[in-house]
Amino acid sequence: MTADTLPFWLNYQASEQPVKVALRHKQRGIWQEKRWLELRHDIASLVSALQAKGFARGDTLYLLSDPRPEALLLAIAAHWLGGSATPLDPNAGEADTLSLLARLQPAFIFAEGQCQVDLALKLALKPPLIIYADARGLSGYQQGVLQPYAQWLGAANAGSISPPIAQAHDDAFVFFRLDPQGQVERLNLTHHQLLNQGRELVKQERLTSQEEALAARAFAASGHLRYLLAPWLLAGFTLNFPENINTRDIDRRELGPTLVAGTSQTYQRLEALIYARLPLPGTVRRAFLDWSLTAPAQTKPWYKLFAYWLTIRPLRDVIGFSRTRVPLLVGEVLPEPSAAFFAALGIRVRNWPDACDWQPSPNSPKPKHVLQDSYLDDSLTQLGAQA
Amino acid sequence: MTARNPLLTLEHISLSFKGVKAITDMSFSVAEGEICALIGPNGAGKSSLLNVINGVYQPDDGIITYDGEIRTAMRPHHAAERGIARTFQNIALFKGMSVLDNVLTGRNLKVQSSWLEQAFNVGRAPKEALVQRQKAEEIIEFLRIQPWRGSLVGGLPYGLQKRVELARALAAEPKLLLLDEPMAGMNRDEKAEMSRFIVDTQREFGTTIVLIEHDIGVVMALSQHLVVLDYGKKIGDGPPEAVRNNPEVIAAYLGTRH
Repeated sequence: MTADTLPFWLNYQASEQPVKVALRHKQRGIWQEKRWLELRHDIASLVSALQAKGFARGDTLYLLSDPRPEALLLAIAAHWLGGSATPLDPNAGEADTLSLLARLQPAFIFAEGQCQVDLALKLALKPPLIIYADARGLSGYQQGVLQPYAQWLGAANAGSISPPIAQAHDDAFVFFRLDPQGQVERLNLTHHQLLNQGRELVKQERLTSQEEALAARAFAASGHLRYLLAPWLLAGFTLNFPENINTRDIDRRELGPTLVAGTSQTYQRLEALIYARLPLPGTVRRAFLDWSLTAPAQTKPWYKLFAYWLTIRPLRDVIGFSRTRVPLLVGEVLPEPSAAFFAALGIRVRNWPDACDWQPSPNSPKPKHVLQDSYLDDSLTQLGAQA
Repeated sequence: MTARNPLLTLEHISLSFKGVKAITDMSFSVAEGEICALIGPNGAGKSSLLNVINGVYQPDDGIITYDGEIRTAMRPHHAAERGIARTFQNIALFKGMSVLDNVLTGRNLKVQSSWLEQAFNVGRAPKEALVQRQKAEEIIEFLRIQPWRGSLVGGLPYGLQKRVELARALAAEPKLLLLDEPMAGMNRDEKAEMSRFIVDTQREFGTTIVLIEHDIGVVMALSQHLVVLDYGKKIGDGPPEAVRNNPEVIAAYLGTRH
């Protein structure tokens, strides 16, 4: 029996439903699709390329990126080789990220674009291998340590890779953070843990391969790996990536996902988005809208229908929840008024725990260098130009 | 002024408006692929010079050599056809149109199909529309304005409108890009962002850029070549370091002369 790991499930989906759409990514205004078989082929290319660069069992790939398919596929390629992936919070400050990276001394980094590459190059350590997705602004950089992701996809020997060597109890993802005293803490998630929690979600929410999920949040939150990545591989539905983090609300509206996994902040931001578009209090339109949202149970059915088509449905459209069947809230619960607001829109947010067991991390030396910043040096990427 | 071939050379250009001399005997070259900044106090003739380069004003005297073509004057449409695009000091966008539509207007000169084909969406028109859209999307991605793709330009913040104007200019795939105060009215962060876009434009597309900017810090960091104007005359021309130490430039900027 092959190990119960993330790469195993990817292989499984590629054989069971090879032509079904596995991933969608909006690029230059158009949703680009990848089928499960294509995905497996891409991962095989990445496995070959990673292996050729010396990535081996026990190694870690650090992800400096907002959610995008390249980061996800590289993470699975790292798992394939028995390694793990460490997503770093893209919203963390530059100084915090650098401080953390300086202690972790990464050897393999996936950097989304020029900003992240600049960040990685600031590490005054042995230069890590940096794989980048967005080549914009990087043409003047020395290409020695920089590897374009697009080039890796064309690896010639992609078809001849060996089966995944990861084991169920290997770490799939390892998270790091600095505690208030500046000590590094870690959180390990094994393949087994991720898949078990994913199975629980698939079972309870009756997820099928027909779901459409949007990966708008970074995988830097472990809950999103448990409740989005693992169920995606287990149920074989379609995972959609927005064009970028700033277009996620527009893209969600276009797509109308059936499965949404967000945090309390996500839902509160969406609530604010709706409130920003509501008519001013005291107007007739606002009064009708308030009545629609709070219509008592004994209201006549056709009045309710009227309210649904004129207010509730358009409001759900605004935030891209027109088809949402499974709205998940990962971690911290929603404040009562927000929960009531979503309930009034017919969106019953289900809370799933983001239980985390952070442990002090051994072997994390203090950074040996001082990180400096300067105004236009940064802006104009002088560092990159010199590299 | 550099080892590279000059893309643009102005020789003895003079321009006057009735009795007012706006530019007097101006000569300098802009090398292919460089960022050249025109600096000088208000009224020094910087914008007039840009208008001469892209044919909005016809000089009284002098010769312009652009991409091997020698002319005493150039009309704006000819300048656009020859690969000169520009942005304006006061934003000149179609405020009632979306960002995407504004960027697509920059592709007008690249359209081959006739108006009849476009009206009935036949012949070359459908395929061409896709190509133009794709090119426009590339620029939209390059300048990171995807979230506002469908938004009306009139409702966007000033800094973003400046970026859309740059996008429209880049959509024309220019060889020479003229930027008239691209960072006017921007805060520090917006300036840094716009600076990055300008540098990336030069690096990624190899576009030659002539820009007017008042923020000396930005100018020094951005450009490889400075031309300093004062009262319509050139008082400095060279790399930023050399110009910074030029006594005449220091005098003009520190106000000891006037």
